[in-house]
Amino acid sequence: MSDLDTAIAQLRACRPIPEVQVRELCYKATELLIEEGNVVGVDAPVTICGDIHGQFHDLMELFRVGGDVPETNYLFMGDFVDRGFYSLESFLLLLCLKVRYPDRITLIRGNHESRQITTVYGFYDECMRKYGSANVWRHCCEVFDYLALGALVTGAATSLEPTSAEYANEPSSQATIPGDDNEIEIEILNSEGQIINRFPRATPNGDVPSHPPKLDSSSPLATPTRTGAPGTGASGLSSGSTANEGGAVLCVHGGLSPLIDTIDKIRLLDRKQEVPHEGAMCDLLWSDPDEIDGWGLSPRGAGFLFGADIVKAFNHKNDLSLIARAHQLVMEGFKEMFESRIVTVWSAPNYCYRCGNVAAILELGEDGSNGGYVARSNGESGQSGQGRVGPGRRYRVFEAAPQDSRGMPAKKPVADYFL
Amino acid sequence: MPSSVDAGKSVTQSGFKITTRKLPILKAGPIEEMTNKLGIAPPEMIFGDNSVRIEHEKSGWSIDFNAFDALNRVDKTGDSMLKVSYSKEWQKNRVHVHEEIKEVIKPFDWSYSTDFKGTTPNPPQFQSSNTPIPIALLTRPDPIIFFDELVLYEDELADNGIAMLSCKIRVMPARLLLLTRFFLRLDDVILRIRDTRVFVEFKTGQVIREYTAREEKYETLKQKLGSNKEDAATLMRDPNNLTEYMPVVERTLESLSLT
Repeated sequence: MSDLDTAIAQLRACRPIPEVQVRELCYKATELLIEEGNVVGVDAPVTICGDIHGQFHDLMELFRVGGDVPETNYLFMGDFVDRGFYSLESFLLLLCLKVRYPDRITLIRGNHESRQITTVYGFYDECMRKYGSANVWRHCCEVFDYLALGALVTGAATSLEPTSAEYANEPSSQATIPGDDNEIEIEILNSEGQIINRFPRATPNGDVPSHPPKLDSSSPLATPTRTGAPGTGASGLSSGSTANEGGAVLCVHGGLSPLIDTIDKIRLLDRKQEVPHEGAMCDLLWSDPDEIDGWGLSPRGAGFLFGADIVKAFNHKNDLSLIARAHQLVMEGFKEMFESRIVTVWSAPNYCYRCGNVAAILELGEDGSNGGYVARSNGESGQSGQGRVGPGRRYRVFEAAPQDSRGMPAKKPVADYFL
Repeated sequence: MPSSVDAGKSVTQSGFKITTRKLPILKAGPIEEMTNKLGIAPPEMIFGDNSVRIEHEKSGWSIDFNAFDALNRVDKTGDSMLKVSYSKEWQKNRVHVHEEIKEVIKPFDWSYSTDFKGTTPNPPQFQSSNTPIPIALLTRPDPIIFFDELVLYEDELADNGIAMLSCKIRVMPARLLLLTRFFLRLDDVILRIRDTRVFVEFKTGQVIREYTAREEKYETLKQKLGSNKEDAATLMRDPNNLTEYMPVVERTLESLSLT
């Protein structure tokens, strides 16, 4: 067993590794990450994960639900640290796996992977508590500076391979359960792999909802209100080709930036620095989608909000079918917005050990129809400006690991003589 | 569901019924509904189903603490809007690049500062009073029959600090004390603590409500705390450490009698 495998085993048991090993690990990780571009290319199949926030036992649950590394290919969209009690073990384990299986796991930077934020929100204190000095924190922060800013997933299938999974509950009669001949666009599974819900791809005469779908993963029997993204009917994609019609999927922690209209502009940024307070790099890690037109300023006086039109234009220009991002807590674990052009994925269940939310991960399947080749025609021919067909999306929804209540502050409030 | 959740626990003592509810944060549907009703975006952790309620069974009087009523008292106009510490720098650097983006989306007091003192739907109403809460009676180690604490809402202010509204209640054989606290720490800008205390003496039916608002600039408070930078930052995470260093900016005292 190599040192690395030993470290992985130790971290999987939620035990920190010695400082000297951390230093070596961080050095190796930096050597790897320095070779990655600002936007890492990732081939489907891949499982996309959102915020972890030091909830180590829930990360273990995530691996149980989604499959272990290296069997499953993972992409983590940042915010590994802060808030939870095991930022150190969580981040170091992910980093070990990155060094051990560099092609099977992709880590991109979240706004918490920063010196300034970690000194306020827990990671710094945790390192001090566990090592008695700031050295480990410093080593980790140096790695943060080398993390990629985004990832571009290509080769994702436009429909899901039907699974033999059982339904968690018998589907109600009104629910539109796709038959064998229907393409499955979205499937929601629970942590035991049972189907909570399935949504078929729109048919040519399918109705286009005027509002974003409410994918409420917690009400398994909800009648699907949507049948697919607009423009995905036959008319918009009449090229007659059997090639993969799906575009690529951009993954970033926060969202878009008004300074960035093409993915190539992300590639040109100098990322090897502390997250700045303004500029494109900052926006990618901090901005949020909102139900507005165009760009807006956050009422906080810093940070951008972007609307559906911005996402639509960006996806069209960059031949994307979807933007996956994290950064915002969602009770249901995931939230699709803007006619499924952008999705928020949140992977920290019972956030901060008190929110009671579920978490989700997003699986994109490999497109088998065309040898994984993705046509990237830039949408000029035959694309009526409506954008690409979204990839087939399988969400696995899971709850907090029971272990995570161990060693936590008592759930039952302790009576005190407060005044 | 996590064990911290409980759909309702309740105790009745000398004709007063005390009920607390602790449930997970709201789902997308109820959040949208609340957003529409409030006219502002609720905080990111919104425990909309949580509540503390004290009811006087004979008179039908009650006081209720919940997130919606608290948020309904947040400034929705943006007149009292704070800015994060690096806002100026951010705005200045931004100006050249995209001047067309000027509009602040839905301005409102995003710090969720509230002066919520509880909702009292039925008479009698509180009257201004000079009778303070009898602290001496509350420092006695009487047995605590019922205790609970819960959060009504919390927001991380996009990692610029914290805004949190929480409640604590303890019921002793002869009286009870409820504390609802709004705590705001906007890093490098300001700190606020707004406490509402409700005291009930069961035998006399006397209810006293005290509201105390404290406020201090971040920098001033840090200097008062006097220690090095890191210690000050740690201290500023716990409002319990801070009240004595923060001047009172508003205090009201009210009471009523239930028979």
